[in-house]
Amino acid sequence: MTRTVPVIICLSIAAITTIVLCTFIGPAGFGFVSTASGAADIIGSIRLPRVLAAFFVGASLAVAGAAMQALFKNPMADPYILGTSSGGALGASLAIVFFGGLFVPVFAWIGAVVAILIVWSIAGRRGVISVETLLLTGIAVSFFFSAIVSFLIAIAGQNVHQIIFWLMGGFWNASPADAVLSACILIPAGLLLFFMGRDLNALSLGEETAAHLGIDAARARWTVLGGSTLLVAGAVSIAGSIGFVGLVCPHIVRMLLGPDNRVVIPACILVGGILLVISDTLTRTYFSDLPVGIITAFIGAPFFIWLIWQRGEVT
Amino acid sequence: MTGRDRISAENLHAGYGTQDIVKAVSCSFAPGTFTGIIGPNGSGKTTLLRAFSRVIPSGGILELDGKAVSDHTPTELGMALGFVPQDEARPFSYTVMQVVLMARYARTSRLGSLMPEDYSRCHQAFAQTGVAHLADRSIRTLSGGEWQRVLIARALAQDTKVLLLDEPTSHLDLSHQSEILSLMRDLAESGVTIIGVFHDLNLAALYCDRLIMIQNGQMVADGPPAQVLTPEKIRHVYGAEVVTSCHPATGRTFLMPVKTQNGNGSALSLMNVQVISGGGSGSDLMRFLAGKGLAVSAGVLATTDSDYLTATALEIPCIPVLPFSQIPAHALEKLRTMLAKADKIVLSVHPVGTGNLPVLQVLRDMNPARIIIHLPEGRDFASFDFARGAAVTAYHDLRTAGAYTATSYEEIVAFLRADALRKPQR
Repeated sequence: MTRTVPVIICLSIAAITTIVLCTFIGPAGFGFVSTASGAADIIGSIRLPRVLAAFFVGASLAVAGAAMQALFKNPMADPYILGTSSGGALGASLAIVFFGGLFVPVFAWIGAVVAILIVWSIAGRRGVISVETLLLTGIAVSFFFSAIVSFLIAIAGQNVHQIIFWLMGGFWNASPADAVLSACILIPAGLLLFFMGRDLNALSLGEETAAHLGIDAARARWTVLGGSTLLVAGAVSIAGSIGFVGLVCPHIVRMLLGPDNRVVIPACILVGGILLVISDTLTRTYFSDLPVGIITAFIGAPFFIWLIWQRGEVT
Repeated sequence: MTGRDRISAENLHAGYGTQDIVKAVSCSFAPGTFTGIIGPNGSGKTTLLRAFSRVIPSGGILELDGKAVSDHTPTELGMALGFVPQDEARPFSYTVMQVVLMARYARTSRLGSLMPEDYSRCHQAFAQTGVAHLADRSIRTLSGGEWQRVLIARALAQDTKVLLLDEPTSHLDLSHQSEILSLMRDLAESGVTIIGVFHDLNLAALYCDRLIMIQNGQMVADGPPAQVLTPEKIRHVYGAEVVTSCHPATGRTFLMPVKTQNGNGSALSLMNVQVISGGGSGSDLMRFLAGKGLAVSAGVLATTDSDYLTATALEIPCIPVLPFSQIPAHALEKLRTMLAKADKIVLSVHPVGTGNLPVLQVLRDMNPARIIIHLPEGRDFASFDFARGAAVTAYHDLRTAGAYTATSYEEIVAFLRADALRKPQR
């Protein structure tokens, strides 16, 4: 498509602008050129890591969402569909309730990965598995883990607040290490999924079709799931389960550029990043740092409804 | 198995889970052949096709170009086998062009851009299937028939030596059906091996040079359409009554379903009825009675008589004789034996000359209570007499002796039914 290149260039410019602008916006209210004491500290060690972490996490979620939607042949799929978010939530809740909030990201990451592994092994038990089985197993495991999280909330006592905030997702504690870590996950996994673009295209018409077109469908499926799991587990461990970014961004991108995943994946990096950075800046600047998941859902859900209303069909 | 075969299967088993749907199928397909796989619903046709395209696991030996299918890489298979599914999910709004270009994935490197020849192959496929005008449309806006043609275009653009088609014309209208199947015929003639699952037996017979009939996952017939599509095999495999014939225009076998004998416990189905007719007067009657489930037999019929053609097509026994000649004595003797076995005799009033007058004389020897004369309303015997009054006399004699006269087919059946219901009480 001829508009692909200009749109990608515009999105790249928008992404850089967003990162720069949002780094200079915040409750402390520094201007672009500020000599106030501590300004450099706040911008360099608090805002910039947070903005970058939000960008990379948003990008990760959007890319994983696009991959999941193609793999499951379902535009309503989101990155958490196989239980990553409830697994992460369970890990984080266990850390909060039993370890006094130590190692929450590590536990969340382990929880997310364990959830996926359980889903894979249950769905793959018979050798041949279909994406439908995978999807249903994911939903079942999610519900089960959510039940345990609910139980932990019920017995958590004073920690309820902490768990609930974690569940809604946010970047309060984003450190430079988080920014680096999320980039280190996004770059290889994002590249992997980008290279899987045409496999994703074929898979989105069905695994059998993909096989008939000469694609190793089983290997492609596991590669896509593996890459997405890394992205989502990383995102969940850094920022909790932030909703809607992974669902809505692929739709925005497909509206702009069509459904070819070789284009959708890179564009999702930009759109997901921009969306989450703006949402996070809004909450930390104007909403006394509410969980950013509230903002994304608040913007994302009406946007999604508008999208369905406008198009009358999915992209 | 010869080295020349594109695909050969030996003792092939395939299915879903633990159950085999396809059992012990052995067959091979040479280059340049168009084979139809036929069989009733649920017989395993599509499963067999999917086993050939290795998307479902199979047991036994399956070779492509003399090499086990499992030894081919997915890319090699993508270049060797094209598959047209019955339908395909369309969750995203790809353009027709994007979907058809996917056919070239197997021939290009992962990020390698497409070459001009890839595009020209796709445009050729568009032209062959008549979807060129749809190239920029979203696939979600296509009708079922348009989408099916796009799927066929994609398989063509794959440029494979084998094409597997799963009911490729199920969504197509008449003209597109013949366009697509003629295209497949041409491809077969240019050396492509085509294997298609067909629901429509006439289409299969018209375009395929070989048919494989499947029942319960096993091959029950394999050969040219004329040998596979026999009424006996169709009855055995489909449980349906058909008549087959060689189409005068195409020279190919074709078949027509006839009303299934829905015995529904009616006493009629046990009844033997002999129809005596001539000059085409009995054709409709035989069809009507056979359709009611009666065991019908016919009388002496000249081989040029349309009644004779109807009787043969319906597999109704009759006594064929040469046209325009005296009925030989042995034919009359045979008629006597047949009449003796029949429960009822329906005499369809027909033109009688000196040639066929002896038939009426044979009838005069029968018990008139077993005879029903069918005289269409408003007609009289005289208009059927070409024997200078002898025929009128013969017809009248039968009636006065006590034969029942009916003016419509319904009346005949009502009479037969009443008689059949009386019988068991005797």
